[in-house]
Amino acid sequence: MAESRRSFLKQSVATVAAASVAGCAPDAGRRLAAEAGGSPAPLPAGTLRAVAEAVLPAELGDEGRERAVAAFERWSEGLEPVAELSHPYLVPEIRYSGPDPRPGWAAQLEGLDKECRSRHGVSLAAIDMPERRKMLERPLGQAGPSLGSPASADHIAVALMAHFFASPVATDLCHGRVIGKQQCRGLDGAGAEPAVLVAGGAP
Amino acid sequence: MSRVVESDICIIGAGISAAMVAERLAEHTTASITVVEAGGRTASLDERSLTRARMLAYGENPYPNDHIPGQTGTGAMYRSMVVGGSGMHWGGAVPRYSPEDFRVRSLYGVGFDWPISFDDLDPYYQEAEERIGAAGEQGPPEYDPRSQPYPMPPLPLSYNLARMREWTDRAGVPFWTQPWTRNTEPYRGRNVCQRCDTCAVCPTGAKYTPDFAFDQLLADGRIELVTRTLVRRLTVEPGTDRIAVAEAVDRDAPDEPVEFRASTFVIAAGHAWSSHLLLLSASSRYPDGLANRTGNVGRYMTGHWYASGFIDLPMRLYPGIFANNSLLSHRFASPGPLDRYLRHDLRLWESDVGRAPRLKGDDGRLLWGDEIMADWRARTEAAATARIRAYYDVIPDRDSHLTLDGATRNAMSDPMPRIDFRAAQATIDLERHTHDTIRGRFDDLARAAGGAVRSTRTSRLFEHPGGGCRMGDDPATSVVDRWGRTHDHENLFVTGAPTIVSSGCANGTLTFCALSLMTAEEIGNGVR
Repeated sequence: MAESRRSFLKQSVATVAAASVAGCAPDAGRRLAAEAGGSPAPLPAGTLRAVAEAVLPAELGDEGRERAVAAFERWSEGLEPVAELSHPYLVPEIRYSGPDPRPGWAAQLEGLDKECRSRHGVSLAAIDMPERRKMLERPLGQAGPSLGSPASADHIAVALMAHFFASPVATDLCHGRVIGKQQCRGLDGAGAEPAVLVAGGAP
Repeated sequence: MSRVVESDICIIGAGISAAMVAERLAEHTTASITVVEAGGRTASLDERSLTRARMLAYGENPYPNDHIPGQTGTGAMYRSMVVGGSGMHWGGAVPRYSPEDFRVRSLYGVGFDWPISFDDLDPYYQEAEERIGAAGEQGPPEYDPRSQPYPMPPLPLSYNLARMREWTDRAGVPFWTQPWTRNTEPYRGRNVCQRCDTCAVCPTGAKYTPDFAFDQLLADGRIELVTRTLVRRLTVEPGTDRIAVAEAVDRDAPDEPVEFRASTFVIAAGHAWSSHLLLLSASSRYPDGLANRTGNVGRYMTGHWYASGFIDLPMRLYPGIFANNSLLSHRFASPGPLDRYLRHDLRLWESDVGRAPRLKGDDGRLLWGDEIMADWRARTEAAATARIRAYYDVIPDRDSHLTLDGATRNAMSDPMPRIDFRAAQATIDLERHTHDTIRGRFDDLARAAGGAVRSTRTSRLFEHPGGGCRMGDDPATSVVDRWGRTHDHENLFVTGAPTIVSSGCANGTLTFCALSLMTAEEIGNGVR
């Protein structure tokens, strides 16, 4: 793909993403449209953490959850839309990742918080868990059964969950073992049953 | 005015076959060697930790700039065009073909015999394994013959694979470790595998990639490597059949043609671009292209099909320990006498299919964090999934061919290749029997574990492809001889994937390397 076409695609998808969220968060949509082609605004940190508390495992604890959210934020900041993807086997076409999801995610967080303030008079972080999950049920209910890749998640809550549950930390926690998925671990010990994950050893 | 580059030997392409030819000729002769590559350089070893991280995080191509815009064809082919070729992306699996692969006509009355036998190729297999650094386990000799040990011990069986091998032993099917070109001990200056489990891009250099060979040859001053220069046609010396010039374009100075002049030319451009170059080199004297007096260039394109599945196992495994190692069996690639032809391998991997974390339960109910974790644990605590695949031999058809596609052209308006793979009628007729038999073997294996086949699928993608310039003793039915020398031009060789007669039922790269070493030996005999 020619560089000019790629640049065009990046600008186009940013504009489209901004336009698609304008209905639920007009201010955010206008701001993001104005920023099309530049770095997206950071995800609203407080609301993101309020969502994380509702959708990530409580067994992570506050520190583990904060590490998971911070890892997601770093991942999000490093995401490049319309990036060239790994070549599928024996496929001559070059494939690219999708449009930038971050403007939409930011607008969703802003929309959630705004709706919460309208309904309850307080921020999303200030309402109790049943109410918080009730607000998230509608968008999450529209998602498919699998978590998929975080970059292709339509909703920020799914992206956050997909990112965490794909991590080596989540795999270790699920099995209660130190597996270290996709960490460079050396060959020694590969044949042994993975060591038991000690309590509190999570993330 | 053309820029002229002269050498004794000109190798076109800088993939793994070219690396074998260049390395052997550099060691065994004093010939001057030029390697011409249309692509440039991609991520160096130092950069692969970063590109690996981005591949893991975002799915990005870990080899930036590894292709040329517009230089692509239609059909199953690799897009990479870069120093190292598709040997940058590969996982490093290096099984040998089976002895039967070379004699299917004689043994089973189908397909074609090669002009060489397994025993002829054995020393070159060994040499290839030593050059690239193969780590392997000796399987049962009747299914895994070799005259010398692997250069390195095998990758260790992970806990998961060890449990799976206990199961396959109970089933009575011998499995052993897939051989890999991944170091299990320091080898030729490269590191030991660190089990990073992203072998498409190895951040430690434990996996062999051909750029290592070219870098060493450059450091030793034994080759000239000309990159970003696309060879567009070969021309013949007037009054003879000898190739005189490889005409090329420097992609950074397209108005200044480049001529490569050499005594010997080697096309090492893979299954797609080798035949393509010969066909592109048509002239009034050779209207059908070079090396094509009998019309065989671009024909008998070959690859194998597969049947695969997932097997539910009643055992505790830990997906993620080492997904890039696998078990292999050639039990059914060397099946003995057969009523109906079917030869296939078997390979097994750990898998998390059906046991990955999910957003909704079987009843469609939305799961929250702790519920996702509980659901995930419930599906993994006492059960696991194995991935199984059987590559089976497909008989190539003469009309399985590569042609020039006038409708698709590159920046120089050259027609691009189009590959229309086709299996011979014998394979089509046997397809149902093939799939039923393999499915039955999956069922037998599953039963031996007290498990069940979860799902199966079949594929007609011609994997591990080759052909287009197949070797043979008879010029009427082949393009090159057993050494890769074209029947029509005594100083023109084609090597590696294009020269194979069939793809058997194993990954092809080690065979491509061994054939390339045969080519290099023959060239070396003439120029030493």
